[in-house]
Amino acid sequence: MTIKECYEKIGGDYEAVFQRMMKKDALIIKFAKKFLDDSSYTNLKDNLGSGNVEEAFRAAHTLKGVAQNLGFEKLYKPSSELAEILRAGSMEGIDGLMDTITEEYEKTIMAIKEL
Amino acid sequence: MSTGNEKQKILIVDDSEMNRSILADMLGDEYEIIEAVDGTEAVARLNMDSTDISLMLLDIVMPNMDGFEVLAVMNRRNWIQDIPVIMISAENTYSYVEHAYELGVTDFISRPFDGQVVHRRVINTIMLYAKQKRLIELVSDQIYEKERSNNLMVSILSHIVEFRNGESGMHVLHINMMTEILLQTLMRKTDKYNLKRSDIPIITMASALHDIGKISIPGEILNKPGRLTKEEFETMKTHTLIGAQMLDQLTYYKDEALVKMAYQICRWHHERYDGRGYPDGLSGEEIPIAAQIVALADVYDALTSERVYKPAYSHEKAIDMITNGECGTFNPMLLECLLESTDSIREQLAINSIKQESDRNIRNMTEDLLHYEELSASERTLRLLEHERTKYQFFASLSSEIQFEYTKEPSMLTLSDVGAKMLGVAEITMNPMEDDMIIGVSDGKVMEDIRSLVLNTTMESPVVQYDGELLINGEWRWSRIICRSMWAHEEEPDMTGCIGKIVDIHEEHSKIKDLQRLASHDGLTGLLNHSHAKRLIRERLHESDGKDYIMAIFDIDYFKNANDRCGHMFGDKVLQHMAGKLRGSTRDCDITARVGGDEFMIFMDDMEGIDNVIDRIFRALSGKYEGFDISISMGISRSRETGRRYEELFGCADKALYTAKQAGRAQYCFYDDSMDEILSAISSIDGEE
Repeated sequence: MTIKECYEKIGGDYEAVFQRMMKKDALIIKFAKKFLDDSSYTNLKDNLGSGNVEEAFRAAHTLKGVAQNLGFEKLYKPSSELAEILRAGSMEGIDGLMDTITEEYEKTIMAIKEL
Repeated sequence: MSTGNEKQKILIVDDSEMNRSILADMLGDEYEIIEAVDGTEAVARLNMDSTDISLMLLDIVMPNMDGFEVLAVMNRRNWIQDIPVIMISAENTYSYVEHAYELGVTDFISRPFDGQVVHRRVINTIMLYAKQKRLIELVSDQIYEKERSNNLMVSILSHIVEFRNGESGMHVLHINMMTEILLQTLMRKTDKYNLKRSDIPIITMASALHDIGKISIPGEILNKPGRLTKEEFETMKTHTLIGAQMLDQLTYYKDEALVKMAYQICRWHHERYDGRGYPDGLSGEEIPIAAQIVALADVYDALTSERVYKPAYSHEKAIDMITNGECGTFNPMLLECLLESTDSIREQLAINSIKQESDRNIRNMTEDLLHYEELSASERTLRLLEHERTKYQFFASLSSEIQFEYTKEPSMLTLSDVGAKMLGVAEITMNPMEDDMIIGVSDGKVMEDIRSLVLNTTMESPVVQYDGELLINGEWRWSRIICRSMWAHEEEPDMTGCIGKIVDIHEEHSKIKDLQRLASHDGLTGLLNHSHAKRLIRERLHESDGKDYIMAIFDIDYFKNANDRCGHMFGDKVLQHMAGKLRGSTRDCDITARVGGDEFMIFMDDMEGIDNVIDRIFRALSGKYEGFDISISMGISRSRETGRRYEELFGCADKALYTAKQAGRAQYCFYDDSMDEILSAISSIDGEE
């Protein structure tokens, strides 16, 4: 699978990323693969599990930033929403959001692994 | 200073490894990238060296220390002026952006990162700052150079006066030279004036200021071609007092040796040895020697220079005129000096006249020279700094000591990385006195004690030492903390913090403590043992403070029965019980000891009402213990009766104890002369005496 196809599969904004990464597919692939080792999703899940709102906020914030940089739009949006809720110190109504994030995260990971 | 080949360093501070590496890749190979995973690491890096970072990319939301806190520290430590910071953040809300700009951020790069934008912004910012940095360096080097050479300032000042006077511009130079030569000659001839080597440059420099008062003399008078009228001359004469007053009214530097000397010279360089000069009409040695010398130099130079009203006279003619008294009377010894230094004066004047080009040329030359020195000075300084830093880091990495630095503004503790690991705390801690981690490893008292020790240091003796327990590698260990306070060298000494190291002395400390305890205490009761008590008592008896003492020796009546009936274990418990009672009924300054078996000793000050004290102790020691009736017999001796020898005091208490026992036990008895013939009651346990 090419990187472009990968982005199509996960609903990412390939064109924008391509422009930002100085039109180098190799760079996009490098970072997409690096995303497999990024710990922010696991951090987010663990901290939500243990009820540590502050750390969970930071993890959501990082995940949001990384997703945004890599143009993973479908992952970016729910993590951004989640980060805002957590920033206010709340955990209300986050279960649905977290489910979406998990779903999108797994889809993204699967697709990247096929590169 | 960058050599041009070296890559510029960019510090990326972001808790996400992904974000850091995306930025690093976008910036490419042109820069050397240094990464920090949070604010504390960034501050630690800057603390180590803030001069080599060309730019910082800073995230806002981070664990431990966030981006705003980093900016706050950079502001407090003045790093923000030298290191441009670009915020990298998804936070675009107005309040965030505004706050960041207020804290000195140069620019923003928002997510998602765009390679082009990142590249462009970084290049622009670095270029802008590099230019600024170069300018600042240039200016600060100039200031540094000028501060260092007072001479330059002084000569500028005196040149201003000369230009107004319409003098050649060489006058000050000549006065300088003559003053120096005359001073040296005078010092060789006599030590009458208590001149020191170090006075020469000061007087020479001050001589350049002799005419500064002329600045307020009207130009018409100063540069009048013909003779001055009497009134004009009176005005002219005031330049001496005006110059002195100018110096006297200086707010800050009045007490500097240079200024004091210049004051004397300004005021009195027109006085004459016979008292016929002005403004104060001082005579002979009333005139400070510096002013006498400058007066002579001034006259000599006036004679040998061309003036609007006269041609330049030759050296010989000038000497003739001066020795004939045509210019007033001078100190005969100074005239001798002038004659003796004729050769060197001529020599120096010759050298100077070769250089006698226009003032402009001289100034240009000086400027060129200065400029050259500026550059070499700052480069050399940087090299030296670099060298010192490398040296320090090398030694720090070799040693397993904990090294630390504390700065007051901001309140920040920095530990060597080895040290931070050993203590299990961060390398950088803000407000350590209130930090739970730091207090946790040092217990509050250690920190408080060191703080007050350091606060009591002075610039002259800045080093203090303290032994205390620290939690090192998870274990409380005795440590020696050696600390040196650091000072800003300003007019008022100001403590800026301290540096120091922590050495593990646990093994020695516990060994010594154990040995000391073992050697001085009785294992069973924890009281002093006999030999240690004896040493302490002898010391006190030796002190010639005239105090009287008493000694009481007692044993437990029928103690053997308790041992026999209830066993030795019970006997030991009785002894421990008695020791407890004894401690409870005496003061800390009294000496209490177990002298052997069931015998105990008390040594205390003899005082008014001592009978009552003894009675109280005696009662406290008697009573029941676990069904066993305890009574004691006690003998007491007083140093005012027995003398101040330990053996006498002990022997007499022993005899009194014997007497108490003989009288039926369960009582105490003071020694008196009638007991002289008695033998020892406890000679068995006193065997080692």
